[in-house]
Amino acid sequence: VLRAFGFLLSPTSPSRRAGVLTALVGVALCTLIVYPLKSIAPVVSLGVVYLLAVLVVSVIWGPWLGALTGVLSAAAFNFFHLPPVGRFTVKDPDNWVALAAFLVVAALTSSVAEVTRARTREALERRREADLATEMARLLLRGESLAEVLPTAAARMAHALELPSAAIVMEAVEPDGRSVAFPLREGDHRLGTLVVGAETSERNLHRLQERVVPALEALVSAALEREDLLAGVVETAALRQADVIKTALLRAVSHDLRSPLTAISAAGEAIALAGISAAEREELAAVIVGETQRLSRLVENLLDLSKLEAGAAQPRREWMSVEDVLGAALEDLAPEGFQLSIDRDMPLVRADSAQLERAFVNVLENARRHSGGHPVSVRARAVRTLGRSGDRLIVRVVDRGPGIPPAQVERVFEPFYRAGTARGGRRGSGLGLAIARGFTEANGGSLHVESLPGQGATFVFELPLESA
Amino acid sequence: VSGQPRVLVVDDELQILRALRVVLREAGFEVVVAQSASEALDLAAVRPPRAAIVDLVLPDGDGVEVTRRLREWSEMPILVLSAVGEEEQKVRALEAGADDYITKPFGARELVARLQATLRRSEGARAGDEPTIVVDGMEIDLAARAVRRDGEPVHLTPIEFDLLRVLVRNRGRLMTHRALLGEVWGPGYADDVQALRTHIARLRAKIEPEGSGGRPRYIVTDPGVGYRFSL
Repeated sequence: VLRAFGFLLSPTSPSRRAGVLTALVGVALCTLIVYPLKSIAPVVSLGVVYLLAVLVVSVIWGPWLGALTGVLSAAAFNFFHLPPVGRFTVKDPDNWVALAAFLVVAALTSSVAEVTRARTREALERRREADLATEMARLLLRGESLAEVLPTAAARMAHALELPSAAIVMEAVEPDGRSVAFPLREGDHRLGTLVVGAETSERNLHRLQERVVPALEALVSAALEREDLLAGVVETAALRQADVIKTALLRAVSHDLRSPLTAISAAGEAIALAGISAAEREELAAVIVGETQRLSRLVENLLDLSKLEAGAAQPRREWMSVEDVLGAALEDLAPEGFQLSIDRDMPLVRADSAQLERAFVNVLENARRHSGGHPVSVRARAVRTLGRSGDRLIVRVVDRGPGIPPAQVERVFEPFYRAGTARGGRRGSGLGLAIARGFTEANGGSLHVESLPGQGATFVFELPLESA
Repeated sequence: VSGQPRVLVVDDELQILRALRVVLREAGFEVVVAQSASEALDLAAVRPPRAAIVDLVLPDGDGVEVTRRLREWSEMPILVLSAVGEEEQKVRALEAGADDYITKPFGARELVARLQATLRRSEGARAGDEPTIVVDGMEIDLAARAVRRDGEPVHLTPIEFDLLRVLVRNRGRLMTHRALLGEVWGPGYADDVQALRTHIARLRAKIEPEGSGGRPRYIVTDPGVGYRFSL
């Protein structure tokens, strides 16, 4: 029943011709229905039957067709049913009472129906506007840049409000003959303009001005503010990060430069003493040379890191053999403590061999340092997949040290981060792994670590293989 | 060999140990070395040294902890090795009983000199209290609470005299702000560094020789840590 009333009150009426037809058919049907009813009720009271037709027509088609139905009903009732039957009589007051009743009913029901219909239409519009506002908020405040989402937002608006065209621009636009411009403001500040096609209906223009533009102003203003805030946050975070790095750098310099310097200086003074043996002299000389190398590695690391952070580490990529680069890396480190196994017929890789060598040296040195005297296994192989697109070269560096707690697995690649207790930072500068990852990624590869505490750690290099 | 004073050196940097071993041996010490806190404590118990040199950063703990544990049973001089930027740990080490600290990188000769100074001081302390101390033209009579510089009496307030007394009796040793405040004013005043600075300034004005270019002859500042009566 509700659905039937819903149909009666649907916001758009069927055509007028259908209305006239319904009026004629309705009056005819009512005339027919009255015949059998005459045997059970007095004829004069059966005029109410015609009210059905008047009601239906005036609800759906409004007062004028309703009135027409009333007049037709009065005429039909008079001609077919009121005595004398088959003739129009105008002096009997029954006729006038029936006609008046029909007209009043037509007027009342049609106006009630019209009010209801208007409300329904307005409710629908409001709902669409609310949906539109939600969607606009989602679009504008989602996080992409405002300039990128504005065309989509305008298109959605045009669709939802059935506008011929709509555009939202972040500048002041003067209206011309083909468009209507709504300025978007926040206070006195001009944010931009909503431009719609000139053929937009008066009703829709009113709607836009009254309800859409204020919502749009609030949203655009919020989105702009959000963009500003985000930019500020990013900048602050970058500054803070730079600050953290500077502090850490000072610490690293304080600690990691001073230890080798102390050893060199003490060994230098000791070597000049008269009472030392030849073996001691040799040992002290080795201390000086070894610590000097350590210092120069640290300096290189610092330079590399600053290059990577400045984005200045442009790789000079050329075809190279991973076997050669790993070999060179092991030579740098003195090869004891490593077990190298490389598959035969390894494909060549396009990368900067010097950068890759630094990456390998740093990871290998780190592995040996943490392996507690156990050999570090280094294994290289090529992994081929169908279609060649995912072909890659994998180097795994496996140590048998204490491993890395899960919470620190990613942090080991942060500059100056050293696994273990905060003050027990040993030997390493905390730069090597950050640099290794930086150089590997600069060459299109990746470096990550797999580890279970107590079971050592495996550093995995992956380098993409390109077809020659 | 038995006549040489034994010194324990604790540092996890093997290269530093190698160099220090030679330097200290040639300076007349018997050297035992340890690379971790636990090894140091074990060694010290088995072969008690006359003095210890302890790095602040150790793989299994820190120099502060080693100092505290050694102090539980020994009055041996303890010298801590630190790097710049570890002020807080340095102060904690001194408060835990360390006698002095030396900053990396240091000259080996400086280390030997500091070690010998702390050793001399601890020998002196063992020899008993001195009623009168004479240092480089200044005579301090602890019993009479009188001070003379180049024969001229210097008038000090009671607090200034107490400050000088504490510094002189620990001469050569670095006294932290906290230690000085505690000894002179009492334990409740341990944080009033500003008051200490004021009194040190007045004391210096009375005892330091003029025209030394602003560089104190007797009371040397160790920024952020404390004061030391120069030897």
